[in-house]
Amino acid sequence: MKKRAFFWAVGLALACLLYFFENNTGTRIVLACSLLLPFLLRRNEPQKQHQSRVQTVKAFADREADDPGDVRAYLPGDPVNRIHWKLSAKRDELLVREQARDKIVERTEKREVVPAEQPGGKSAKKRVLLLGFSVVLLSLLLLFAIPSAHQGLQALLNRLFDASEAVNAYAYERFAVPADQPAALAVILLLILGFSLLGVTLMTGSRLLGLILMAGAVLFQAYFGLSFPAWVNVPLLVFFTLWSLRPLKKRIILPIFAALAVISLAVLLLYPGVDAATEAASETVRDRLSQMAQSVTGAAQELPSGENETRRVHTQSLTAGDQEARTSREYRLVTVEEQQISMPHWIDYLRIILLLLLAVALVILPFLPFILLNQRRKKALDARKAFQSENVNEAVFAMFQHIAAWLEATGHGGENVPYAAWNADLSPDYAQRFAACERLFEEAAYSTHAMNEEQRKQVLELLNETEQALRRQADWKQRLRLKYKECLWV
Amino acid sequence: MRPELEKVLTEIEKVIVGKREVIAKILTALLADGHVLLDDVPGVGKTTLAVAISRTVDLRYKRVQFTPDVLPSDLVGFSMYDKQSGGFSYHPGALNDANLLLGDEINRASSKTQSALLEAMEERQVTVDGVTYPLQKPFLVIATQNSVGAAGTQFLPYAQVDRFLVRLSLGYPDYAAQMEMLKNRQGVNPMDQAQCVLTRDALLAMQEQVRRVISKDAILDYITRLTLASREHAAVEVGISPRGALFLDRMAKAHAWMEGRDYVTGSDVQAVFGDVCGHRVLLKENADQSVGDVLNDLLKTVENPDRHSRGLLKR
Repeated sequence: MKKRAFFWAVGLALACLLYFFENNTGTRIVLACSLLLPFLLRRNEPQKQHQSRVQTVKAFADREADDPGDVRAYLPGDPVNRIHWKLSAKRDELLVREQARDKIVERTEKREVVPAEQPGGKSAKKRVLLLGFSVVLLSLLLLFAIPSAHQGLQALLNRLFDASEAVNAYAYERFAVPADQPAALAVILLLILGFSLLGVTLMTGSRLLGLILMAGAVLFQAYFGLSFPAWVNVPLLVFFTLWSLRPLKKRIILPIFAALAVISLAVLLLYPGVDAATEAASETVRDRLSQMAQSVTGAAQELPSGENETRRVHTQSLTAGDQEARTSREYRLVTVEEQQISMPHWIDYLRIILLLLLAVALVILPFLPFILLNQRRKKALDARKAFQSENVNEAVFAMFQHIAAWLEATGHGGENVPYAAWNADLSPDYAQRFAACERLFEEAAYSTHAMNEEQRKQVLELLNETEQALRRQADWKQRLRLKYKECLWV
Repeated sequence: MRPELEKVLTEIEKVIVGKREVIAKILTALLADGHVLLDDVPGVGKTTLAVAISRTVDLRYKRVQFTPDVLPSDLVGFSMYDKQSGGFSYHPGALNDANLLLGDEINRASSKTQSALLEAMEERQVTVDGVTYPLQKPFLVIATQNSVGAAGTQFLPYAQVDRFLVRLSLGYPDYAAQMEMLKNRQGVNPMDQAQCVLTRDALLAMQEQVRRVISKDAILDYITRLTLASREHAAVEVGISPRGALFLDRMAKAHAWMEGRDYVTGSDVQAVFGDVCGHRVLLKENADQSVGDVLNDLLKTVENPDRHSRGLLKR
């Protein structure tokens, strides 16, 4: 909780600072994002569920509430349980209740049982989300703060536009689109489908990845003005929604979902010209997006003023299927080339640095295996130093661990059980000696006893025997592993 | 096993045939100064076992057969007005001078009586009318719960079951054991043959030694990882409590001492884990595993200290 507040505060402070230095749309968006951040995060918090259990308890009414007027003197033969002990003690004579009025009162108790919060899964997810948001925020900040990055982004966006133009042109050439389309209804249907699926997934608790991918698929189409045909789109949405559904609730949601999908599919297939309609819609969305992107990066002022116009003219002319499309496309390419020429030289420096890094890597690469092997060897030798340690406990501990590692590497044991339960049978009476040494190991590991040299010798003997036996038994694969991967064999 | 305990075991085995393991576990619990909950069907020798233990270890034995009418004052005693002296005098209850209390069918007692007993078990003292009376040392409660014919009874709530060190079950004897038992009882009562082989003071000394057994950090770390894992297990609603972790350590110490060591190893913890933690784990309603499966799961997945320390060494 505190950590999140801290991140938020830092992000907000940075955004404010940025806004102070550079007051434009981009910084405003960043500021708004950082303000919204905690709300975005809070949505993922687990809801506390209160289960209430109802218990019915029968209880006897308080006997002392009886007024003493119902009491008379004890007569022989009265049942003992009728005696009013308290009053009898007070008045020093035995008194008996006239009537036993044992009311049974039913009482209902409500108990609230609050389940213990489950640590783990959810908090980890939250942390990932938080980290992701921080990273996005930070990178946005960096993008806006550094002028060269600013320009780089601009160039990147230009490339993207280019790519989309190219794809678009291909798409228009490939799929001939009739000019007049009854559009709006189909688009609305598709949108309703998408949003209802989104709603269902959100309400049933979803996997984030599926949602992101779905949104990505939709955005991708919208941005590039590329709408897949309905028979691709619907199964795609179905697939992502299924993916994002929680497996447990699948059974309940599936019928509703399937019905929805079938209806939409039928409408989409029966209604002519749906694809073209979605395409037209995505075209406008794409235009809007490109405008927004340019205003965010501040590109609108720097780009040739005709840029947006060109794009629009271009798309319109394509829809009309006119020859003009070629020329406007070429014109657009020229403006991009001009843009590239005016780009700063830092890209060249970057290239040089990358090349240098590559060269260094190439020089080091052939020696890398040797360096790594040498390191392992050194580690193994260090581990062996412990065998001669002054402290016998330490030595016994290290040696037995070494034996166990050998046995495990060659497949003689290794499940998650204490060494005492291992049954290694390398030679007839090996198991007994192993057990004896295992006891010594336990003593070394878990007790505070001081151990003596004889015990060190005993374990060392077992160690040598184990190594020799296992080396003899091992096939070439195991040998390689022992020598180079595990480095138990120096 | 320690020879002095070996003797106790042999004496008890004269009476109860073929239940060596359970008897050893109860003795371990006795050494760990904790209480035992026996979950069993009627007639498998719970009472006989308790009597046999009290005979061989020289413990004062009391037995309370719980019914809904047994009141807390029957256990902890009560003050009564004494006319001659003009004051109140204390009449001790069943707990006060017992070393070994057999609480038979504790699930039939009313909840207030159960609480009174469990409080006394925890505090090892009873307080009546503001005066505190310490209980005898050692003080061991063996409570039994019948799962058969449980209609109209109150099973111990989770919070109170948690106070028992271990929950065990005697179970039926096998063919050979039952034959021998029947033969044994032909002439004489085998209970008369059981002799006292361990004095109360010796037992107290043993308990002291058990308390001095060492659990190194590696073991405490193992216990902590086990209990934490139990709380996070998918099928578990309520995992092992911190008290459970404490009891696990205590029982592991007693187990180590019985094995003749003065230090606890990972095997000790594993050996007592099922008995100490079986009644501390509440499963979710839709869980498809039994408690035993969950505990085995934990033992399998949580890295034992032997391996864990090697991981540390490699790093």
